[in-house]
Amino acid sequence: MTAALLERAIALIGSLIVGGTATFQLKNEWPVEGLDAQVTKLLLGLMIIGCVFAFFASLNILGNFS
Amino acid sequence: MDVAAHPVEEHAAHDHIHPAPEGFIAKYVFSLDHKVIAMQYFVLGLLLMLIAGSFAELMRVQLWNPAGTFVQYQTFNQLFTMHGTVMVWLVLIPLVTGSLGNMVMPLQIGARDVAFPWLNMLSFWLIPVAALTLFASLLFPTGAPAAGWTEYPPISIQEGTGTVFYTLAIIIVGISSTLTGLNFLVTIFKMRAPGMTWTRMPLFTWATFATALINLFATVALSAALLALFLATAFNVPFFDPARGGSPVLYQHMFWFYSHPAVYIFILPAFGVISDVLPTFARKTIFGYKMIAFSSLAIAILGFTVWAHHMFPSGIAPWLQIPFMILTYIIGIPTGIKIFSWMATVWGGRIHFSTSMMYALAFIGTFSFGGITGVYLACVPVDLHEHGSYFVVAHFHYVVAGGAVTAFFAGFYYWFPKATGRLLSEKMGHLSFWLFMIGLTGTFMPMHWLGLEGMPRRYASYEVFAKAFPDAVFWNRVETASSFLMVLSVLFVAINIVVSLRSGRRAGNNPWGARTLEWMISSPAPYYNFKKIPIVLDKPYDFTQPLPYRNLDDPNQDPYPKPIEAVIPRRAPVAT
Amino acid sequence: MAVAATPGTAAYLDRIAVEERFRDVDPVYAETRDIRMFGFVLFLLADCILFSSFVFAYLYLRTSAPVWPPIVDGHQIERLDVAFGAMNSIVLFGSGVTMHFALESWKHLNKLAFNMWLVLTILLGAGFLGGQAHEYLSAPMNYTSSVFGASFFTLTGLHGFHVFCGVVFLTVLGIQANRGVYTGSKYFGLIAGTLYWHFVDVIWVALFFLFYLW
Repeated sequence: MTAALLERAIALIGSLIVGGTATFQLKNEWPVEGLDAQVTKLLLGLMIIGCVFAFFASLNILGNFS
Repeated sequence: MDVAAHPVEEHAAHDHIHPAPEGFIAKYVFSLDHKVIAMQYFVLGLLLMLIAGSFAELMRVQLWNPAGTFVQYQTFNQLFTMHGTVMVWLVLIPLVTGSLGNMVMPLQIGARDVAFPWLNMLSFWLIPVAALTLFASLLFPTGAPAAGWTEYPPISIQEGTGTVFYTLAIIIVGISSTLTGLNFLVTIFKMRAPGMTWTRMPLFTWATFATALINLFATVALSAALLALFLATAFNVPFFDPARGGSPVLYQHMFWFYSHPAVYIFILPAFGVISDVLPTFARKTIFGYKMIAFSSLAIAILGFTVWAHHMFPSGIAPWLQIPFMILTYIIGIPTGIKIFSWMATVWGGRIHFSTSMMYALAFIGTFSFGGITGVYLACVPVDLHEHGSYFVVAHFHYVVAGGAVTAFFAGFYYWFPKATGRLLSEKMGHLSFWLFMIGLTGTFMPMHWLGLEGMPRRYASYEVFAKAFPDAVFWNRVETASSFLMVLSVLFVAINIVVSLRSGRRAGNNPWGARTLEWMISSPAPYYNFKKIPIVLDKPYDFTQPLPYRNLDDPNQDPYPKPIEAVIPRRAPVAT
Repeated sequence: MAVAATPGTAAYLDRIAVEERFRDVDPVYAETRDIRMFGFVLFLLADCILFSSFVFAYLYLRTSAPVWPPIVDGHQIERLDVAFGAMNSIVLFGSGVTMHFALESWKHLNKLAFNMWLVLTILLGAGFLGGQAHEYLSAPMNYTSSVFGASFFTLTGLHGFHVFCGVVFLTVLGIQANRGVYTGSKYFGLIAGTLYWHFVDVIWVALFFLFYLW
């Protein structure tokens, strides 16, 4: 088991956990009103996209294809 | 949202009027009061204006003779670089947005201070730090920056320490300017007096709002550009080195993306000043309130889309040049709307020729002139021909000296009584006005035809050009002589301030009979501005109506205030 | 020209109506939470533009380069290690999630959980910085040889500086919270800290895509 494989595994499992939790948080935050809540929703949503990136990167679907 | 007031739970703790600070340092040096900060900006700006102006005079003396033997050529490069840098970033931004904006905007919207007074103090104190940083470059053997105020690489990178100090200084100014923009935006959004809807805001506040937008969003991009230049100069990072994949044109993109909006940072508050001064002294409602307000916003937004018109000769793709040319033309539309609205405002009014009004009327002429030459320069073929010539210098100085500085003086004569409680001498005001206008025309008008003939800018000597066009010597001497009239005018302003502060006539609350909120309170304004915040009932500037606000401190205030006739005796006959 | 708003006219009645509406409203002109929040969001927006400028520079340089990654001394620079980058990204994103939980715990008055989540956030943030340090030491390029290195080190360095400031910010917030600075509904600092931390995460999303995936 190489270091790269370990890194990929951590990224894969981590992205699932973090992405899932962030989606859950976004769902809870959704009905809240106020400027801070609106900005939090936007930022959480973008962070979930980041988790999706990390997920596909860990599966070698994104990145390294040059 | 039309209600500016937001009662929130913490308000009980903050609702009382704070007592004024005691002691010299808290009161005048590290003051949190927006009015004191405005005066600090003003004094610093005027001081630096004299320094940067003296650089310009040294250049004009150099150009008295075509051979240019007064200073060395490298010193001349440093002179024009420092003149531009100091004037743009350390004089105009502090004077126009810092001084006028801080003094007037919170008073006009009925606020006790800006949203973040502490941040406001920080913004001010960053400016002297930046000035010291810039002038610290003189302590090093290569001296001050010398690649022009734009500091294009690769020349700027080759010159070493000057560029390092330049970038650091301007990054500090950028931070200060960004914080000011943030502060003003929050203040205007959240702290307007009850009843002051967006369409009841005075036009100077509208202009400050548009300026603050540019301050916040564009200035950060400038800081980024200069940070990149700093890294490239100090740490050899290859952003702008073509041998390692970089591009000098990239710097120009990053720089002008800010610096084109930056000229609107000077000129938008100027538009606001004119929109406030003209109706007051013409005793007539502003024409096209909404159009003037929205054209400020339109200029602020369009200003972000035209930066590459500074780069037509720098080698950007031809298919990119045409859209930038057209977008630049489009900016002329909101500007034209303003000019025509002002002319319609003055038309048929009872004009009082106070010094402030003289400057405001002159502004319409000089600024239109500078604006029209700007439209010439936006045209790609003309620009390719004129870009490196004195025509550009003439255009820029007509817009900045004839536009921003003239309007600044209009606002200065208009709001000085509110800031200090004393009126300025009108006689000396008229004298300095005429000196300034004659000096301005004499200095910058001949540059137009010299530029069209092909006199290159930033040259320490024009012997070759003078051989082809012998009249260039005459016109350059006219320019040099006239430029000293402008210095004289600014000195007269300084003398006028000192004399009037000692023995000027007391202003009273409302010497001009103006209608906006700042004239409701005593002059100079008390520390807390308003004892009870007034309620705004109607649009400003309608002189046929009773006052557009309810003064809760003094319910018996005269609903139709008139200017003090003894102060401004010269009045044009009624035209209608 | 409109009729002057003298008693008896419609304009006068309009004015009376405005006055009645606002007579009892007591406006607040101090640094309230609403005002500070708006200012803080504007600050984040301005910060976003700082990053956008450098991203613009990167895109400009990258699209005008003949090959990417560029060739230095006859050798093409290697691409960055995606596996490590993805892992490090997840560390940072995870800290965003834990920070959100910290704020939620504070809102539910659970101070123990707040402290736990906050410490976890700070540790994850510090872990990300450690990962970045490793990345810098093992990077296949330096910051002077090509624009790839220049933009990578500038942008991630700027971001790393923000993360570092964020770690300090959160530590100070934790100390203040345990000293009882924030009471009742007055915990603006914690909201600001959370927003700032989310913002730093989101900037990394863009940087991760630009440097590792594209």
